[in-house]
Amino acid sequence: MVKLSAKCIVAGDTTVGKSTLVQLFRSDGSHFPKNYSMTTSMEVSVKNVQIPDTGDSVELFLCDSPGKAIFYEVTEKLWDQPGALCLVFDVTNESSFSSCAKWLQRVRAKTFSPQLPGVLVGNKTDMAGRRAVERGQAEEWAASNGLEYFETSAKELENFEQPFQALAKAFHHLYQERVENFRSLM
Amino acid sequence: MTRAGDLCLSCAGARVTLATSSDDRHPADNIIDGNPDTFWTTTGMYPQEFIISLNGIQKINKIILQSSLVRSVRIESSTSKEPVNFELRLERDLENTEGHLQYEEFTLPGVQVAHMRFVILSGFDHFVSVHRVSAEGDK
Ligand SMILES: Nc1nc2c(ncn2[C@@H]2O[C@H](COP(=O)(O)OP(=O)(O)OP(=O)(O)O)[C@@H](O)[C@H]2O)c(=O)[nH]1
Ligand SMILES: [Mg+2]
Repeated sequence: MVKLSAKCIVAGDTTVGKSTLVQLFRSDGSHFPKNYSMTTSMEVSVKNVQIPDTGDSVELFLCDSPGKAIFYEVTEKLWDQPGALCLVFDVTNESSFSSCAKWLQRVRAKTFSPQLPGVLVGNKTDMAGRRAVERGQAEEWAASNGLEYFETSAKELENFEQPFQALAKAFHHLYQERVENFRSLM
Repeated sequence: MTRAGDLCLSCAGARVTLATSSDDRHPADNIIDGNPDTFWTTTGMYPQEFIISLNGIQKINKIILQSSLVRSVRIESSTSKEPVNFELRLERDLENTEGHLQYEEFTLPGVQVAHMRFVILSGFDHFVSVHRVSAEGDK
């Protein structure tokens, strides 16, 4: 039985729903912040995720980061040696999707590891009539960047756990691979 | 002057008195069991550290660290009865060795130590392994 710890950066443009998703996940769906409150500095929430059929778990240190550009310089300094990435955009906002490439590059630049478990999350699917980014388009971009893709509606409590569980699983998988590797070293 | 051999062995009275990561399958005691095939793994995030407490105060000349994926390490030592009041000895960046262990020697001529603290500041990956630490000295 092992308890792993992963520093998970939650990044993406402002108002896409990062804080909402983190709050929901941390509170098991009981806390949906009604009013928008802009994140101005990185906030860390800790949540333990069980890995099915193993007895192992991954403690996610969710680093909810501000999306607004003026806070970036300070935030970036707190991102060193990330263990996982949750990249969020708003499916009704095309430019929040285009920004993902930039966010991805910024976070990847902070790790020495050849692999960084990551997910791409398209949030606000409840606003179906205003959708500006198609699922296929997002899926394709995610796949070509080695990310797993999820769609969520924090508002309707839909799917909000899946991206984080996938990250925990990927991190755990990486650990097992590395340990296997350590065994073979001489 | 007679060589005292390796002081960082559980059979020589050394103990790991702190480790910030623990996986039952790869416990920190593996660092001082004398066998480089067994290892301690870190379980995510940096920094990580472990403390080896020797059998009383000993004079050492060098420390050897066998590990993998360690990128930078800091070594501190203390002569207190308890593992407290550490003093910085050195900090070093290591090379990434693929497919085999890192073998790093730290020369610390004639330093008195009771406890040695190893702080792993960064790694080449999310996890590192420490297979063996040895300290040689003369009594
Ligand atoms: N309709 C809808 N609104 C949502 C959803 N998720 C979040 N919101 C709303 O979107 C607004 C912004 O959400 P936040 O979670 O604060 O956004 P953020 O990404 O943390 O923004 P910054 O902190 O500025 O980076 C809030 O008013 C939320 O209530 C969703 O799934 N559907
Ligand atoms: Mg926020």
